[in-house]
Amino acid sequence: MRLTLRMLISHGRVARRMGLGPESRINMLRNILTGLVRHERIETTKVRADEVRFYAEKLIDYAKKGDTDEKAMKMASFWLTEKDLVPKLFKVLAPRFENHSTDYTRMARIPNRENLDRAQMAVLEYKGNPFPPLYPVKKENELTLINQLLKGYREERARAKLLATEA
Amino acid sequence: MATRTACQVVRRRFSSAAAALRPSPAEIRGHRNAVFSREQERQRALFPRIEKIEVSLRGPGLDGTLLIMNKGMSTPLSCARHLTEYHVNNSALALVDGELWPLNRPLADSCTLTLLTFNDSDPTLLNEAYWRSCSALLGQVLETAFKDDYTVELLSTPEVPVTSGAFCCDVVLDPQLDSWTPSLESLRSLTRGAQQLIHQNLAWEPLEVVSSVALEVFSHSRCKQEEVEQKASDSPKGTVMLYRCGDHVLLSGGPLVARTGLCSQYEVTAMHSLGQGPWGHHRRTQGLSLPLQLQAHHTVWRRLRQRAEKLVEAGEKPESTPPPSADSARPPASQ
Repeated sequence: MRLTLRMLISHGRVARRMGLGPESRINMLRNILTGLVRHERIETTKVRADEVRFYAEKLIDYAKKGDTDEKAMKMASFWLTEKDLVPKLFKVLAPRFENHSTDYTRMARIPNRENLDRAQMAVLEYKGNPFPPLYPVKKENELTLINQLLKGYREERARAKLLATEA
Repeated sequence: MATRTACQVVRRRFSSAAAALRPSPAEIRGHRNAVFSREQERQRALFPRIEKIEVSLRGPGLDGTLLIMNKGMSTPLSCARHLTEYHVNNSALALVDGELWPLNRPLADSCTLTLLTFNDSDPTLLNEAYWRSCSALLGQVLETAFKDDYTVELLSTPEVPVTSGAFCCDVVLDPQLDSWTPSLESLRSLTRGAQQLIHQNLAWEPLEVVSSVALEVFSHSRCKQEEVEQKASDSPKGTVMLYRCGDHVLLSGGPLVARTGLCSQYEVTAMHSLGQGPWGHHRRTQGLSLPLQLQAHHTVWRRLRQRAEKLVEAGEKPESTPPPSADSARPPASQ
């Protein structure tokens, strides 16, 4: 093929290149996806997590079709290298996301790796996993002085409203 | 006509004689201060030699810490100073062996100590103490706000829950002021007086005294003496807790927080007349305050302040049904 300058400049190219080539990339993503289905929360580099996210959600979409579906079973058996995870996918993960239509995964960045490469790391998880939340919810203490004053204020407003509706 | 002038002369003579007999507020304050200082010195002199006690701390991150402090001289504040500046600035009250202990009161024996802050998981006791301290501050402001010609009598402050929206201070003013109602400007000047006290960051020094000493402290005020007798009969040991803030000595129903600088937003919201009582024309002064660590945004503050202007009935538990009749002398309803 004609070797043009455009081949060397990659402005606007969205497809990422990972590993040794396209096949190597698919194999890598397959391994990461198997780890995700087994552990439901994994820690990898940010770029790999971002790539796997698309495949993880597509896999759940296929699993929702049910294990009797031929295509779904083929996809599952291709993508999950450890075959004991195939029943887990169809029996545990698919029913969990019955009411969700999109967004089965969550990604959160963590501090860079301690090695020489200082790679940007991320945590990828399926929602509804049994671990403590990635972004802990801060509960407001109901008993502090200002919250007690506001509680009294709200109660009085409710009482006044009740009186107004009765009258 | 001659009788009228004669009456006027007689009244003027007698009123000046009565005023001359009555000591000025500055003298009363000086006398109370002197008795308080004397009693404080006497209690300090009970521990001539330094004896050591062991204080073990409780709290997040502090469990098991052991401090060796001086008996009768070290206060929970000095224990906090051994820790960090955060503990000194944020702790308002202490729990010594499960009992509420003011921060400036000396420790007598080896004990377990917990420092209480406003951001604990259960600050209910501290909230009540804070409300009591704000009423005490309001009482102090009222005593010093009026001119020397007018007497101000502070009555026993009712214990009001925090959810009622405002703390109160019951006061009886001079009979000459019976027809006076405070304007917005006078409430604002009272607020300014309170803010000055807060800015000075005065400590509330506690002192446990026998009822005879307390009666001597309040020898000029009959209603305070009655309050002292009532509190002494209530307490198991027959002693009464006095607190001194600056040069003002006061009586309180429970522990107060460490110092005035802990309050940040403080406003005197209203003064309601409660009608004639045994001591004269009773008035209830109300205010609203928030501590330094829990400041409110101005929108929230404005709404809470509007609520604090309404009369707070002492001794009434907040109910979800329509409120009962306005009778402040009614004892607290049992539930």
